[in-house]
Amino acid sequence: MCLIQRLLIGLLMCSMLIFSACKPTTSSFAPINKASSRPEIVFAISQAPLNLDPRYASDAASERLNRLLYQSLVDFDIHTKPQPSLATWQQLSPLSYRFTLNEKRRPFYYPPGAGRKAKARKLTAYDVKATYDSITAFTDSPHSAEFSNLKNIVVFDERTVLFHLILPDRHFPAKLVLGILPAELVKIKHDFAHNPIGSGPLVLHDSHNKLRLQRLDDGQRISLIEVKDPTVRMLKLVHAEVDMIQGDLPPESLSYLQSKPTLTVKTSVGVNFSYLGLNMQDPQLKKLKVRQALAHAIDRQAIIDKVMLRHSRLGGAILPPEHYAQRQTLDAYAYDPPLARRLLQEAGVRLPLKLVYKTSTDAQRLRLATIMQAQMRVAGIDLEIRSLDWATFFAEIKQGNFQLYGLTWVGVKTPEIYGQAFASDSLPPKGFNRGRYQDAELDKLLSTADWRAVTQRIHQQLPYIPLWYEGQFAAMQKGIQNYSPKADGNWDDLATISAYAH
Amino acid sequence: MIKILAYGILLFWLLAVVLGRLFQLDPNQIDLNAILNTPSAVYWLGNDDMGRSILARLLHGAEVSLLVAVSVTAVTMTVGVLIGLLAGFYGGRVDQVLMQVTDVFLAFPGILLAIAFAAVLGPGLLNLMIALSLTGWVSYARLTRGQTLSLRNRQHVLAALSLGASVPRLIGKHILPLLTSVLVVEAAYSLASVMMAEASLSFLGLGIQAPNASWGAMLRDGVRYMLVAPHYVLIVGLSLMSLILAINLGGDSLRDHLDVRQEAD
Repeated sequence: MCLIQRLLIGLLMCSMLIFSACKPTTSSFAPINKASSRPEIVFAISQAPLNLDPRYASDAASERLNRLLYQSLVDFDIHTKPQPSLATWQQLSPLSYRFTLNEKRRPFYYPPGAGRKAKARKLTAYDVKATYDSITAFTDSPHSAEFSNLKNIVVFDERTVLFHLILPDRHFPAKLVLGILPAELVKIKHDFAHNPIGSGPLVLHDSHNKLRLQRLDDGQRISLIEVKDPTVRMLKLVHAEVDMIQGDLPPESLSYLQSKPTLTVKTSVGVNFSYLGLNMQDPQLKKLKVRQALAHAIDRQAIIDKVMLRHSRLGGAILPPEHYAQRQTLDAYAYDPPLARRLLQEAGVRLPLKLVYKTSTDAQRLRLATIMQAQMRVAGIDLEIRSLDWATFFAEIKQGNFQLYGLTWVGVKTPEIYGQAFASDSLPPKGFNRGRYQDAELDKLLSTADWRAVTQRIHQQLPYIPLWYEGQFAAMQKGIQNYSPKADGNWDDLATISAYAH
Repeated sequence: MIKILAYGILLFWLLAVVLGRLFQLDPNQIDLNAILNTPSAVYWLGNDDMGRSILARLLHGAEVSLLVAVSVTAVTMTVGVLIGLLAGFYGGRVDQVLMQVTDVFLAFPGILLAIAFAAVLGPGLLNLMIALSLTGWVSYARLTRGQTLSLRNRQHVLAALSLGASVPRLIGKHILPLLTSVLVVEAAYSLASVMMAEASLSFLGLGIQAPNASWGAMLRDGVRYMLVAPHYVLIVGLSLMSLILAINLGGDSLRDHLDVRQEAD
């Protein structure tokens, strides 16, 4: 090889190195000026967020993280009543609402290297309009349907925006909980799913291998790493490879973690409602007495006491008793196998009643299903358990291909869920009436928005069998402070969490 | 000494399965007050995550494991030997086609193919046995074909052929009996690998379904509580290990016993 050839090859290699170094990646985000010497907090989670664009996010992890990356117009108080977050609102007429942005709202944070030269700027009414206009324009967003009643959005000034509706909706403000995006980036179709840019208390610093976040106020670094296996997650915490974990562990593990002197375990009540879904088109399950028999055949209190987290409690309706639209205690269906047997006989069922119960392959769900199977056997119900991988299981439920199934409603805030889950015209894919329940009287009550009467009717007719609200927990190293688990499992305390070095 | 230990363990498990039937232990009896209890006078091996007796479930799991192992081995041996005999005896095109099919199956890792079949067929005992049978016959086919190729040219086979013996008679009376010792040793090793495959598929949730007991599913549950109740996973793990080891050692001893060259030495 001659000298010129060698020089050319050397030059080519050098230029390749230079170009590869210039290639922008998500990890090229420079640290925030306030980067502190505080130790990084590592949070192990069972499932990594799938989409950081609030217009598309539908999994629990994404929604929990998006609450910290973006700000929304509205949030909820402890009674799950909508309350101002970024803006206060006023209902001008049954068909229009005026939202006024707070003076002290946070600015958008544009990480260096994100392809924008402009300095940080405050969130404006134009950003609100751009965000919600883009959602209504999408055909593939899971949130688009919620805004089908939106006629148009008019910006009055930098701080004021008007929402005009097609039909009156008293609960419209409760829907405005999605994070607000910068208008100019919405316009150029920025990839928010991987490079989120918002005005929340945290900013995504790096998404290579793990999600590295940084708090804008003090530079505190927080890493989210995905560890799917619960035992491995627990071991990592015990060996101080991670600083905290939350949920998704067998309840027995909690006592083990509590016995470790280096760890703190905190628990709280939950609001996520678990239930047994019924196919109301099934010739047996369409009989009310059969459904009542099922409700009396499960010893829910024994299950809660023995195989569930502390602070788990009996469930009566999708919304918990402390919810503003609920505020009533429903009479629980007592465990009474002889009564269940009698009800089945009165319904003309030949015992044992054979039913197929579908569930996911999750070990705790299978465990609960097996216990219910044993309890139902005493009442004359022969339950066959079929565990399916999540995608197949959920697809079968949506198609109505089931007799019984077990699921949990996560993060439900508004009473409109009753209409979406039980109204006669809410069959999938339009709504969530997966059991194909048809009840003219309930439809009438839903139209009046009399939520107490609605709840009573559902509790009496049993289109599902209520089970429980599972408790929440978080386990962390002793040095972690200002974090506690929330009833809906959100991670909001990451905005205030702190750690001191050992 | 090792031989005695191996046969002893095998005998122990066979007796345990039979006695488990006699004592009518209920492997599905749930006791929520005994969740993950350590061994006691009432529950000799402790309780699982639903308070069920680990001993009862272990015995029931052993029964399932042995049933699957024996059934699958019987089916795979029959199919594999038949294919190997036909390929080896006829040779030519028949051999080419049958061995190419066998090679295709051999090209995939057996357990992965079984997982794929089990996933397509769906979970359950019968489907598990079908999945394992679909992948297990190839080793018998290869072995039988190789042996048949050398046996078919032996003097006694050629003599029978010249005397007008039919093909079934030639295979059944003059070739198959000479294959028996090789096949018995292969079957012994196959029992162990089928038991392991059954446990693996059940561990992945593709085998026996709840509430029925199987060692793989018990192992999976045990791992979840490894830090809280280590006795659970240890008991199941040691049981599986002892049985597989005993079958393999039994196979070794059977091979030594049937090996004529070793006897000549």
